[in-house]
Amino acid sequence: MSKKILLEKANVENIQTMEVYRREGGYRSLEKALKMAPNDIVEEVKRSGLRGRGGAGFPTGLKWSFLAKPEGVERYLVCNADESEPGTFKDRYLMEFLPHLLIEGMIVSSFAVGSNVSYIYIRGEYEWVTDILDAAIDEARKAGFLGKNILGSGFDCEIYIHRGAGAYICGEETGLLESLEGKRGLPRIKPPFPAVKGLWDCPTVVNNVETIASVVSIINEGGDAYARIGVGKSTGTKLISACGNINKPGVYEIDMTISVEEFIYSDEYCGGIANGKKLKACVPGGSSVPILPASLLLTTAKGEKRLMNYESLSDGGFATGSMMGSGGFEVLDEDQCIVRHTLSLARFYHHESCGQCSPCREGTGWMEKILQKIEHGKGEMKDIDLLWDIQRKIEGNTICPLGEAAAWPVAAAIRHFRDEFEWHILNPKECLVRNYGLGKYAEALITS
Amino acid sequence: MEFSNDSLKKVHELISHYPEGKQKSALLPILHIAQKEFDGWLDVPVMDYVASILNIEPIEVYEVATFYSMFNLKPVGKYVFEVCQTGPCMVKGSDDIISYIKEKLDISVGETTPDGLFTLKTVECLGACGYAPMMQLGKTYREHLSKEKVDAIIAECKN
Ligand SMILES: Cc1cc2nc3c(=O)[nH]c(=O)nc-3n(C[C@H](O)[C@H](O)[C@H](O)COP(=O)(O)O)c2cc1C
Ligand code: SF4
Ligand code: FES
Repeated sequence: MSKKILLEKANVENIQTMEVYRREGGYRSLEKALKMAPNDIVEEVKRSGLRGRGGAGFPTGLKWSFLAKPEGVERYLVCNADESEPGTFKDRYLMEFLPHLLIEGMIVSSFAVGSNVSYIYIRGEYEWVTDILDAAIDEARKAGFLGKNILGSGFDCEIYIHRGAGAYICGEETGLLESLEGKRGLPRIKPPFPAVKGLWDCPTVVNNVETIASVVSIINEGGDAYARIGVGKSTGTKLISACGNINKPGVYEIDMTISVEEFIYSDEYCGGIANGKKLKACVPGGSSVPILPASLLLTTAKGEKRLMNYESLSDGGFATGSMMGSGGFEVLDEDQCIVRHTLSLARFYHHESCGQCSPCREGTGWMEKILQKIEHGKGEMKDIDLLWDIQRKIEGNTICPLGEAAAWPVAAAIRHFRDEFEWHILNPKECLVRNYGLGKYAEALITS
Repeated sequence: MEFSNDSLKKVHELISHYPEGKQKSALLPILHIAQKEFDGWLDVPVMDYVASILNIEPIEVYEVATFYSMFNLKPVGKYVFEVCQTGPCMVKGSDDIISYIKEKLDISVGETTPDGLFTLKTVECLGACGYAPMMQLGKTYREHLSKEKVDAIIAECKN
């Protein structure tokens, strides 16, 4: 069993209520933190090695220490609960089952960065989760953990929830800030970074739900204890939301030392591929990260067991590796068509592009169109090279990383599954009625 | 056109969440309330009314309302089936569910049944990929959809 520090109490009955959460040791980190100097909390988080859980994996303590602190200017903490990366549903789980863990982490983190008014930007569709969080905030206020002079410390803090309204781009931190200001979620040109000019031009920290919830354990047990869990620069635990063709989809907390093979096949986690099928491919970190064929997923190009952590999942770079991303782990079995799947993601990114940059706005539409053509048996060989060319021209030429997020899945699909694309083009009639199957993508597994 | 007293109270409470002069920040949350109160969609007079409450230009409301997928800019049925069609749901058969709903309700995606009861929309990932296929219906998520479940949901709405 992996050590659990986030979800340990998720199944305790009525843990959503203040009474039970307190009985189980809740809000201890707040009592402790308020006796510390804010800077020492930042140092503790640095020592923990915690990396942002929203996708980019940037060290949280470091991010906090970059926050500008001009005299007389408000600072803001904003929690990113937009969670709209396909394959990702871990933040929802955390907020639904352990709302107080997020609120506790929010108050401690607000104290650390000096934010007296903090916001949780939650995707609009999670309306019932908003109600759960609102109830937790009310309870926290009644208990004296929010409001003026919290626990006699002299620190004032309010937390407000802000509902989005359906736009993936509002997960990107500057798009989110625009949206929080009541505008369209158009990402801003950086620099200036939010740490200098964020919400209403004030210094702002944006952190993911899971990142903020992890701060609770770091304060309770200490940064060193947190850093001892996991391996290398993948410290602590990570929530993985597993979906696709597996026996046990759901949200799992792992300690980043286990192998991908164990995660997929053991009963403690995904429980193997559903319906006795074979593993074909996997998108291991949310839809934006490169897809890997089974053969490269379970072992790295060097032939080592691939592990569920930042370093190992990205081992080999994009040539033979992928990324940890947001922890959205989607498994595809032998019956899944890679062209169709890539098309579905291309449509998604086309739909979600905010349209500010021509390479992203035009490129995503173009990629979708070409993939439609191939999927419907009308592709030509030169379309594959054209797709490759388009995705390359998006990468690095846009305001925000959505451009890359749209380019990478297409690039990886062509890189690893080119023969499946070619088969679609060479067999236009057959590809409409039957899938390509496993091809050579899973050799490693078929023989074992 | 005016909000009910209850809604108006909520609106002012929402505005108080943001610093003075930053009342425009309350726009998205208020549009949610407006859409709920005024028949599930945002007509131009509704948007103008919201602009007047926030003391901003109507265009500032229009550009926001048109940007976000949850805001309806034309009338919708009493029940809106928003079926997810992104990769993880597709892998679990969302296409079949969408076809089945089309057939049962005899409408295409984006249409409303003649009795004004149902609208069918396709949407992108709603953060329920592990419980696919799924759809949103009002405030609730309906997960692990099958044809039988779709039948039951339709029956439930008709009752
Ligand atoms: C297109 C796009 C969508 C994103 N969506 C999310 C999201 O839904 N949730 C999230 O926490 N971060 C998301 N991010 C990452 C944020 O920009 C930001 O890096 C993150 O919230 C920082 O928090 P962290 O350091 O705690 O990870 C997204 C980034 C991009 C480019
Ligand atoms: S890369 Fe795409 S989503 Fe990001 S700012 Fe440019 S057009 Fe908008
Ligand atoms: S893909 Fe349908 S909920 Fe995520």
